[in-house]
Amino acid sequence: MSLRLVWQLSIRNIMRHRRRNLMLFAAIAVAVSGVTSLNTLIRGMQYGMMESAVENLTGHIKMHAPGYQDDPNIQRGFPIADDFEPPVPPEDVMGWAPRIRIPAVIMSERETRGVQIVGVDPSREDISFLSAVPISGESLSGTDDGRVLIGAELAIQLETKVGRRIVLITQGIDGRNREKGYRIAGTYDAEGTTLEKVYVFTGLSSLQGLLNSEDVTEVSIRFTKEPKRVTFKGVLVGFFEDLLVMDWLELEPMAAAMFIFADAVIFIWFGLMMSALTFGLINTLITSVMERVRELGMVRALGMPKRMVLTQVVVESTVIMAIGVIFGLFGGYLIYLSIADGIDLGSYAAGVEMAGMSSKLVPVVVWDDFILVAYLSMILGVLASLYPAWRAMKVQPLDAMRR
Amino acid sequence: MSSSVVVCENVVRTYQQESVPVHALRGVDFVVGPGDFVSLSGPSGSGKSTLLNLIGGLDRPDEGEVTVGGVALSGLSETEMTELRLRKIGFVFQAYNLIPVLSAQENVEFILQLQGVAQAERQERAENALESLGLADMRHRQPGELSGGQQQRVAIARAIVTNPVLLLADEPTANLDSSTTEDLLGLLKRLNEAASMTIVTATHDPIVMGYTKRQVHLRDGAIERDALAA
Repeated sequence: MSLRLVWQLSIRNIMRHRRRNLMLFAAIAVAVSGVTSLNTLIRGMQYGMMESAVENLTGHIKMHAPGYQDDPNIQRGFPIADDFEPPVPPEDVMGWAPRIRIPAVIMSERETRGVQIVGVDPSREDISFLSAVPISGESLSGTDDGRVLIGAELAIQLETKVGRRIVLITQGIDGRNREKGYRIAGTYDAEGTTLEKVYVFTGLSSLQGLLNSEDVTEVSIRFTKEPKRVTFKGVLVGFFEDLLVMDWLELEPMAAAMFIFADAVIFIWFGLMMSALTFGLINTLITSVMERVRELGMVRALGMPKRMVLTQVVVESTVIMAIGVIFGLFGGYLIYLSIADGIDLGSYAAGVEMAGMSSKLVPVVVWDDFILVAYLSMILGVLASLYPAWRAMKVQPLDAMRR
Repeated sequence: MSSSVVVCENVVRTYQQESVPVHALRGVDFVVGPGDFVSLSGPSGSGKSTLLNLIGGLDRPDEGEVTVGGVALSGLSETEMTELRLRKIGFVFQAYNLIPVLSAQENVEFILQLQGVAQAERQERAENALESLGLADMRHRQPGELSGGQQQRVAIARAIVTNPVLLLADEPTANLDSSTTEDLLGLLKRLNEAASMTIVTATHDPIVMGYTKRQVHLRDGAIERDALAA
């Protein structure tokens, strides 16, 4: 079979109906642009949710003692060596942080609230939201810092402010309540108010002193890239046999569900857009075949094999789709560039916070998505051509010539 | 008979037209020898086009056998029939039937491409065929830029470029004026005489019959008269 001839006839036939095919190219390009640009927004939302989940003191992987999740207190802690380093290649680790996180009651002169007191090593908290949030007053200076950092919203609820003192009551290693007065070093302003109302930070050693324990309740690890979580989780499970090693998907099941849902949305959206388009492509190809029935009959009469007729229609469809997809991907990328700085969702702050997203939706280009859209579109292009090609192949020379 | 280019033995073809059987051919026996130039004439519905289609492998008889170049067509699959049309038969149709998206030269090369002839040889043979038909200057023109006579000459160039065993022409001059018709018939006559090409043409036109060596007249699906030209 002369592929050169097939190619020549296919291209010339596409050029033969320029206006009609230009409209088709445009329709494909618009659909593909829409799909790819929306994909960047969905990916932005998805990655935003993941980042929020990971930065919310979770990390990609976290270890704690069995039973801690059901009853989080210092009695469910575990010791950590002074020279501890995660048993994974350092170049793959963005950072790690030991913490104590236990429930507590915080009291000001006027109000009382239930919170989580978190003992941290401030120098290691570059893996959590604590390093990124704006702080009024002072940040914690080190593990020995005996002051607290509270959320701005909590300060409002407690009717207190930076420099004043609060009292924290929590349960020590012996099961008895401990209470201590703390001066407020600063207030942090996280996105949304949920975190601000829940987390009260103090120095890790300082809190260990209050609890009369050298243990920590969790070690959080963040990798340079999220997929490394999969690789290293098994290593960590094997290394920390007495601890529970959980990844962020297990620790933040709602965020994980949303993450998976976003993947599904991308496919559903692609399916809807491209299915509609495929019917248009099939219609155009059938029209093109029906217009050429006599011509197809003539070439069959002259000796063109059926498979060559079939291939010709498939190539026409594939070329139309390929041109539309190339322009569509380019258009999608241009749309991405135009919104690359992000879309401010501040007006929908409450809803956005509920969904675990940042108030700014920054689109993310995942090249695999572009490749997938191109790949699936080309498959659809071929599938769309099969029926018209079959119709073309079924043209009987004599019947066609009599028309 | 074994050296005959075409042999039709007791060929019967009946069509169903709105459930009514139409007997297009009623047991036709017909032989075409090498170098013959035969016209098939007769009124509409006489069966001349049906006979031409059966000889060209575009249709199959209900009864009887058609043999072209020593190959019995009844035993051929559809693919083999397509191959036979490609390798052994040249077609010239009434309505020229050039491929509108190809130039004159590309239309002539088309058959050679289907046959898998190499590009250089293909171009040379197509150029020679067009030149021999006086179309050397027209080879890059699209069919729409050619007159009816020029298009039909391109169609003849396409039909003869492969040196077929048999050239079949279905009303080749029906859409041409008398002057162009004379030119074209002269051309077919030269091909028949100089290249010994076997030609069978279906026609209504007495001028065409005047150019052929043998005139076969059909009526009601049977050969009424089969005579050599005077």
